[in-house]
Amino acid sequence: MAGSRDAEANRSANVVAFSTEVFSLDVIKRAAYRIADIAVVDIDAKPGEIVCTLNFHHPQTDEDAQRLINDFKLEVLDQDLRAAIAKETEPMRNAILGYAFSKTGLQGK
Amino acid sequence: MSRFQPLSAYEGSLADGYRLLPFRFTRLDGDDYVLTNQAGEFIVLDRITIEKFVRHDLPAQSPVYGDLKSKHFLLDADSGVAIDLLALKVRTKLRRLANFTGLHLFVVSLRCEHSCPYCQVSRQSDDKIAYDMSIETAEKALALVFRSPSPALKIEFQGGEPLLNFPLIRHIVERAEDINRDAQRNLQFVIATNLALINDEILEFCKTHDVLISTSLDGPSDLHNKNRPRPGRDSYERAIAGIQKVRTVLGRDRVSALMTTTEASLPRVRDIIDEYVAQGFEGIFLRPMSPYGFAVKTKSYNTYDTERWLKFYFDGLDYILELNKAGHFFVEHYASIILTKILTPFSPGYVDLTSPAAIGIGVIVYNYDGEVYASDESRMLAEMGDHTFRLGNVHKHSYQDIFLSDTLLTPIEESFAASVPMCNECAFEPFCGADPVFHHTTQGDFVGRKPTSAFCNRNMAIFRKLISLVGQDDDARRIFLRWINP
Repeated sequence: MAGSRDAEANRSANVVAFSTEVFSLDVIKRAAYRIADIAVVDIDAKPGEIVCTLNFHHPQTDEDAQRLINDFKLEVLDQDLRAAIAKETEPMRNAILGYAFSKTGLQGK
Repeated sequence: MSRFQPLSAYEGSLADGYRLLPFRFTRLDGDDYVLTNQAGEFIVLDRITIEKFVRHDLPAQSPVYGDLKSKHFLLDADSGVAIDLLALKVRTKLRRLANFTGLHLFVVSLRCEHSCPYCQVSRQSDDKIAYDMSIETAEKALALVFRSPSPALKIEFQGGEPLLNFPLIRHIVERAEDINRDAQRNLQFVIATNLALINDEILEFCKTHDVLISTSLDGPSDLHNKNRPRPGRDSYERAIAGIQKVRTVLGRDRVSALMTTTEASLPRVRDIIDEYVAQGFEGIFLRPMSPYGFAVKTKSYNTYDTERWLKFYFDGLDYILELNKAGHFFVEHYASIILTKILTPFSPGYVDLTSPAAIGIGVIVYNYDGEVYASDESRMLAEMGDHTFRLGNVHKHSYQDIFLSDTLLTPIEESFAASVPMCNECAFEPFCGADPVFHHTTQGDFVGRKPTSAFCNRNMAIFRKLISLVGQDDDARRIFLRWINP
């Protein structure tokens, strides 16, 4: 995955780093929250990269751990896409709600 | 106060492409994702297509472009009415909010002659003073009922076993009808009873006043009687006899039944459904155990987890679809509520699946002792000693005190799904709800951590299953459409 790298020396500790050129801290935090049922994620923001350490709630085989790390990376990608959608559609979201309630008398003048 | 820009402000960039309209996406199965817009319309796409779409790389000739356009996921140069249509659908979806509290539960007695281990509330006691609602309390509660602006008011009598205090039910119904001669609401009454005490006098009263009956039927005789012990071990026999009596006097559609899933129920979903079919019901509501009251005290609640309940539920749903495919119309009511949200612009207002949460603003409970609770689950929680959702007392507090209290408004505001972590980006949010009472009980706060929430895990699994069936099984889709358009 472009923008992320597994920290080879720390593979057993389930560490994955994301480039700040590609991903925002908010996106990483949202993805970390999403996997809270599987792991607690330590997030360390360093110059140029955000390093995430996944501490699984239960012991995992290497194969399962790698699969879960890949799921986490995909979740980061999804969150990045969601951020792009939210940014582009924010004014439209407000406009639609404004239209929806335009005859209710609940709008400001 | 915020103002909204005119539509023209958003149209500048449409000449050479499209603009995204607000939507969310969540992984469905494998590489498939479900996308929903603000009105809950959905489409299923693979991830690569979503990426292209969001990055504005989806050509207008693409097979999915037309679907995305017609379902209001994008706006291009010739989709002039899209915003108006989408706004209309959003308004339709939310219209029930303006009606405010429609369901008013009166706990007329906490006494019960059953001793069900999963019961959330009842008391084995002959002490009428301690556990029965008084006429004075009922009068105060009725005054609050008619303060609601809702054009439709449903008064439901709960217990314990409410028929143990039938004289008060009679009084409340007659008084409500008196008040309603001026108030002119669409007034409906329901008695939630185990039917063990039903008799001709009660039935005649119900017929005269158009009272509906809701009862419990957990399955075949052995399972029902195991789940619902009473002196004589004849709960099932009394329930069945009662159902027949009600149908004879009031009419076939005037009695409905609810089941509760115990651990003993788990391997027997087909038996349970067969029992409902045999008793002439046209549907069943497959319900999990609630984490309240005696269900927790007797350890009934923790006897199975979400995964086991979901297997039970999906086995049941598959069997019900088999029955329908064989020509027998039979509905699973929980699925039907969700499908109405998925496939129509309407929201049925089912208490557990609404956001903002329905506590107080959709349902209110007047307890036997005059205390007012935000929902049935709230008063069950109170029986465990947790009064977090006690809104006041009919003898001490005004309508304003009760409905504008921070005790009610704080959990509603904090749990609002559109602004809750994970729900705010979940494609299933338009179909789901906020349940601050459940999350307070199981996780200690009104919001709850969704990744570990049984409410979230259970409902997401059901949404995924139903959306997959709608998309992949033509027969199932036809059956579902019949359920929501009978």
